[in-house]
Amino acid sequence: MIEKILSALEKSGVKQYQVTETTKESAELFFIKRNLDMQRAANVRQAEVVVYQEFWEGERHCFGSSSVVVQESFTEEEMEGLFRDALYAAGFVKNEYYELYAGEENSADTGLAERVDVDLAELAHAFSAALFAEDVREDVFLNSAEVFAYREDTHIINSRQVDVRYRRSWVWGEFVAQCITDQDVETYHHFQYENLQKGNLPTEALRKKVRDVLEMTRARAEATSAAPAGEYRVILPGAFLKEVMQYYISRSGSSMIYPKYSAFETGCDVQGGEAKKDTINLKLKATVPYSSEGIPMTDRDLIKDGTLQLIHGNNRFACYLGIQPTGSYTSFQMPGGSVTIEEMKRQPYLEVVNFSDFQMDAFTGHFGGEIRLAFLYDGKSRVPVTGGSINGQILEAQRNLVFSKETQVENDFEGPAAVCLEGIRVAGAEA
Amino acid sequence: MKVKASEYLRTIKPVLVQLRDRLLESYPYVSILASDSTGKNYSVSKTSTSVRMDSTLCGRGFVVKVYDGSSYAEYSFNEIGEDLLEEIEKKIQESLRSLSEELPEGVKRSCYAMLSEEEVVFSDSTEYELDPQEYGDEAILKELTEASLEARAFSEKIIDCQTYASFQKYSKLFLSKNRDMEQTVLWMTCGIAAMASRGEEIKDCYRGFSNLGGAEVLTRLKANVAEVAGVAIELLESEPITPGEYDCICTPEVTGMIVHEAFGHGVEMDMFVKKRAQAEQFVGKQVASELVTMHDGAAAGKEVASYFFDDEGVLAKDTIVIDHGILKAGISDAQSAMYLGTVPTGNGRRESYRRKAYTRMTNTFFEGGKDSLSDMIASIQNGFLLEQAESGMEDPKNWGIQCMVAIAREIKDGKLTGKLYSPIVLTGYVPDLLQSISMVSGEVELGGGGFCGKGYKEWVKVSDGGPYIKARIRLG
Repeated sequence: MIEKILSALEKSGVKQYQVTETTKESAELFFIKRNLDMQRAANVRQAEVVVYQEFWEGERHCFGSSSVVVQESFTEEEMEGLFRDALYAAGFVKNEYYELYAGEENSADTGLAERVDVDLAELAHAFSAALFAEDVREDVFLNSAEVFAYREDTHIINSRQVDVRYRRSWVWGEFVAQCITDQDVETYHHFQYENLQKGNLPTEALRKKVRDVLEMTRARAEATSAAPAGEYRVILPGAFLKEVMQYYISRSGSSMIYPKYSAFETGCDVQGGEAKKDTINLKLKATVPYSSEGIPMTDRDLIKDGTLQLIHGNNRFACYLGIQPTGSYTSFQMPGGSVTIEEMKRQPYLEVVNFSDFQMDAFTGHFGGEIRLAFLYDGKSRVPVTGGSINGQILEAQRNLVFSKETQVENDFEGPAAVCLEGIRVAGAEA
Repeated sequence: MKVKASEYLRTIKPVLVQLRDRLLESYPYVSILASDSTGKNYSVSKTSTSVRMDSTLCGRGFVVKVYDGSSYAEYSFNEIGEDLLEEIEKKIQESLRSLSEELPEGVKRSCYAMLSEEEVVFSDSTEYELDPQEYGDEAILKELTEASLEARAFSEKIIDCQTYASFQKYSKLFLSKNRDMEQTVLWMTCGIAAMASRGEEIKDCYRGFSNLGGAEVLTRLKANVAEVAGVAIELLESEPITPGEYDCICTPEVTGMIVHEAFGHGVEMDMFVKKRAQAEQFVGKQVASELVTMHDGAAAGKEVASYFFDDEGVLAKDTIVIDHGILKAGISDAQSAMYLGTVPTGNGRRESYRRKAYTRMTNTFFEGGKDSLSDMIASIQNGFLLEQAESGMEDPKNWGIQCMVAIAREIKDGKLTGKLYSPIVLTGYVPDLLQSISMVSGEVELGGGGFCGKGYKEWVKVSDGGPYIKARIRLG
């Protein structure tokens, strides 16, 4: 298809472009309790073509772009028409001039051939088996689950010598655990595992996750009331710490810094110079060999002892800021903190282990969600609670962050197993 | 004017008929959903303008559903031709066989009956006033740029204003032994988000607009620029709320979020099949104040989630979910309805041809009542007017509410004080909230600016709304 696209681009007068062709295959299994309810497979190939137009608007040097999606069923004439329209539209996209990311000669990756192929049906079966291997209890069990095994080939080329390709295989799934006594409750969870290699699949990690979830769901069935409304020392497990840290990752991105949504700059103290306890250390982790623009991705230090080391992001905003583009990251790593979880729990706390949905707003710094299960420790006893919500503000909380020494590994986050936040408002039961 | 149907689907239809007939030699039930959709996303801000076709809105492709005598399986693909039919048939058979050959210990295949279908031949299109493709990228970008500039000029406190628009024009063809159905639909949305900063904290106000139709929706954007910019500045003075239970008035947009997130997801009947929804035990019982009547259906309103038939070839309906406080019925896809022995309601929807069909909401709303907004405000001693729905998460099993709104306007002694609180988390037990509804305004507004997920995926276009409602809600 790439040849047809390149020919149509030339005939339509496009000089600058990027083509990203993807072929995505999947094997999908859908379970209700211990029954396979539906099976699916998919094989879809398409390409996104971005065409660029350099022009002047008075004194202003502009570089506009417009993208189209094409696939094999399009005739070359249809493609030519779409590319001409896109080129015309790009002339009205009056973005400040920047240069397309330039690749290096002979930069085509050989990773595609080197990766070991894992059969998608085998992957789906292996992770489904792991999922149900721990589903052995009467009182708490898997209500339903979905398992998706994916393989995606990506080929990126542009008019400035970028020509890279790679293959990615991963498994994504979700499951709902249900406990029917003392009360009928459920919890929702999802998982993702990448870089899968035959004979070394992380199925044990999924089995452990299922075991932990079933225990948590059992505890939720024992929780009947919300914590009283008030301010708490809140302990959050790593999965929610990952969300909290998105504030710093977003704020250090060039797409927030260039428009001045964020005042972060290299060398600044991201905690506002007010950290009384732990400082943040954070490293961006590459999960694919190339970014969506063909930029080679490597692991990079983002924050060291609370100090910003890097502004990250795509080519365009990096060009505006006069820095090297890094590509966009989805995974990161943090070291363990200053206290053990046991030490963290010596004073009263509200440990929230499950939210219905937990969100961090990188613009306002507010984070929160509805509490599905938490443990309230008043200094004497620890009781499960459910309901109510937390509503925190990272600009206040960042002064007193405490990370656990213990760490955990999830697919896109490796770091402290818990964080303690002080003075967090909780909307709970009326006093 | 009627939206023009896909030429591509017209030319490829004979090949799809051949594929269906070949597969019917091996499988007792076969359906093919073919879709051809195009669309664009536009956005303008201080530093960035973009025009892009989005792969979630665009693409041509097919999903084949087969029944082998006991269960159903699907294959999604996007390359077809007469010369490829043998290969496609082989792929369907091989890939689906390999998936069902080896199952985890103790796991069996579900056993279903065959979907029974009356014969239906159908073809129709929605209407529009101004085709966004004819109106053109230049004109759309010009309107968005002018609105963005006007908001940025409103005050020096406005640091940026993003304006955006999207449209999708899709044609779908559903073929099975007894069905030959075609439809073409066009929807368009637009919105404005003004940002104002208070140190490191950035507050924003947005408004979204939508219609089943074309670029005529852009006129509503222009009319709201000053109000959006003004509220963004007001938000700079907002404070966190003191958590507690309050008398609240919800704007139609917030009512819509409650209808959709807190209750609607709980009556999606694939959740009944999984025993994941408390609503199943409440059918025929009082779940809300008798002032509440709730609808869902692609035929219940004319908005972005309107269509003529769903992705399983079931004609669209208007389902009354709650009638004067009594839960009457849920909504369903074809397979869930067959499992539960009910009639499918035309709510089997796919994110695209690449994904499975689930029971999904469409246009979901409360009917209007008889109260006026001014009477509602006057009736509150100490409470809030809740505005700008931000997000929500369903909990069909336990009917827990998690909804977030950006603005709570203080009401004291029957009057708005001008004081704002932000952001606000709504929590509580869904029936408690619905049964506390004590006043309902006459006007009903539907909006479909966003997409709805099932859990964290399967995004489909929905609309929701209703009147202003007065209820007792726990805020935090």
